[in-house]
Amino acid sequence: MHGKDLLGQLIQDLCCLPGVGPKSAQRMAYYLLQRNRQGARQLANTLLSASQTIGYCEQCQTLSEQKLCRICSDTSRDQAVICIVESPGDVWAVDQAGAFKGIYFVLHGHLSPLDGIGPDELGLDKLTQKLIAGTVDELILATNSTVEGEATAHLIAELARKYKVHASRIAHGVPMGGELEYIDSGTLAHAFNGRKEI
Amino acid sequence: METSVYLQPGYILQHRPYRESSLIIEVLTRDFGKISILAKGVRKPKSKVAALLRPFTLLSLSYLGRSELRTLTQVELVQTSPPLPGLALYCGFYINELTGHFLHKYDPHPEVFQLYQACLVQLSENSAIEPVLRNFELNLLDNVGYGLSLAFDEQHRRPVSTAKKYIFSADSGPVEALNGTVAGQTLLALHTRTLIGSETLAGAKKLMREVIDFHLQGKPLKSRAVIAKIAASLQSKDTPREVVGTDDLA
Ligand SMILES: [Zn+2]
Repeated sequence: MHGKDLLGQLIQDLCCLPGVGPKSAQRMAYYLLQRNRQGARQLANTLLSASQTIGYCEQCQTLSEQKLCRICSDTSRDQAVICIVESPGDVWAVDQAGAFKGIYFVLHGHLSPLDGIGPDELGLDKLTQKLIAGTVDELILATNSTVEGEATAHLIAELARKYKVHASRIAHGVPMGGELEYIDSGTLAHAFNGRKEI
Repeated sequence: METSVYLQPGYILQHRPYRESSLIIEVLTRDFGKISILAKGVRKPKSKVAALLRPFTLLSLSYLGRSELRTLTQVELVQTSPPLPGLALYCGFYINELTGHFLHKYDPHPEVFQLYQACLVQLSENSAIEPVLRNFELNLLDNVGYGLSLAFDEQHRRPVSTAKKYIFSADSGPVEALNGTVAGQTLLALHTRTLIGSETLAGAKKLMREVIDFHLQGKPLKSRAVIAKIAASLQSKDTPREVVGTDDLA
């Protein structure tokens, strides 16, 4: 209904957002133009400068507008303990939980041999350099509990062993308050494999 | 062609995200060969199905449809497979890629399903991974019509001898030659599926690599390159490759 005009273009561009189809893109476009032009201008400016200035932290590879991200440059955090995660979103999630006071390393993915994603694509050479430098006491492997996430954790654990750095894997399984009979069998099986002495 | 299939045993060979919240899985089924199934909405945070859709795990799948892409209606875990230990896990991905390459969609191969299943069991319990991989490669090729002639030199009309050297080609088999690069012993060990000894294993790997590459006609095996990278990253300078045992196995 909107051909190649600007409005049509806007709607089409909004569709690049996750969870946004043509219908909701159209609603957003009308809202911004009819009721909130000031908000639209600000959004456009912020998007532009964010996409130009936010890069990756030199140390942990998470999204950051500085060379070192907020977490890496926080001197109260333990720089010798590194939590390995798959995405910047995972950094946020683990940090929200508040149980971790070290720093992070973001892989931007996981090992995926069938897609040709190996150690190089995950920046493991950079992590290896840290292990060699001897400044790391412990790695905590918080990759996803998918087969690929586990393969990734295993590989990094082997690297840690090679350089004599202690590595541990976060526990996966029964959620807090979860009743066993409602938990899917895959999760339950995983929880059994990862059981520990009490 | 069937429109709905109930409780079909299968293993996921590969999966890729589809649209916002779905997944397309490539499955090796017991009765229907390799098929593609759309698993709708399983990438939503609350989905319980996602945790089940794991490679190397025997699943029971129900699905609908006649098109290229079937639609998943139900999935159950048949049994929790023993986890593949480290190196074997990386090789499991290779087995998946190889199987995916050599099977055509919707072409039933119940024997390949059995082979695949047996291979996973062996990978989970066996410390000698290379013979397991070579046997799987050989048996897979046999079953898809690319079986190798390993024990008889057609050109000279005599059986392969352990003491001789051969030139080997995937379509015509071994030919005795003084400048041959393949040991008769390697050919016979492959033929009888009894690979032992580092020299024989190395020869067998080289030969099978050439055969597989010949059939793939230039299509790359991505997992092979990744496994080689993994092996290299774990390699230590002062330990010989053989001892570390993480030479690129595939
Ligand atoms: Zn950082």
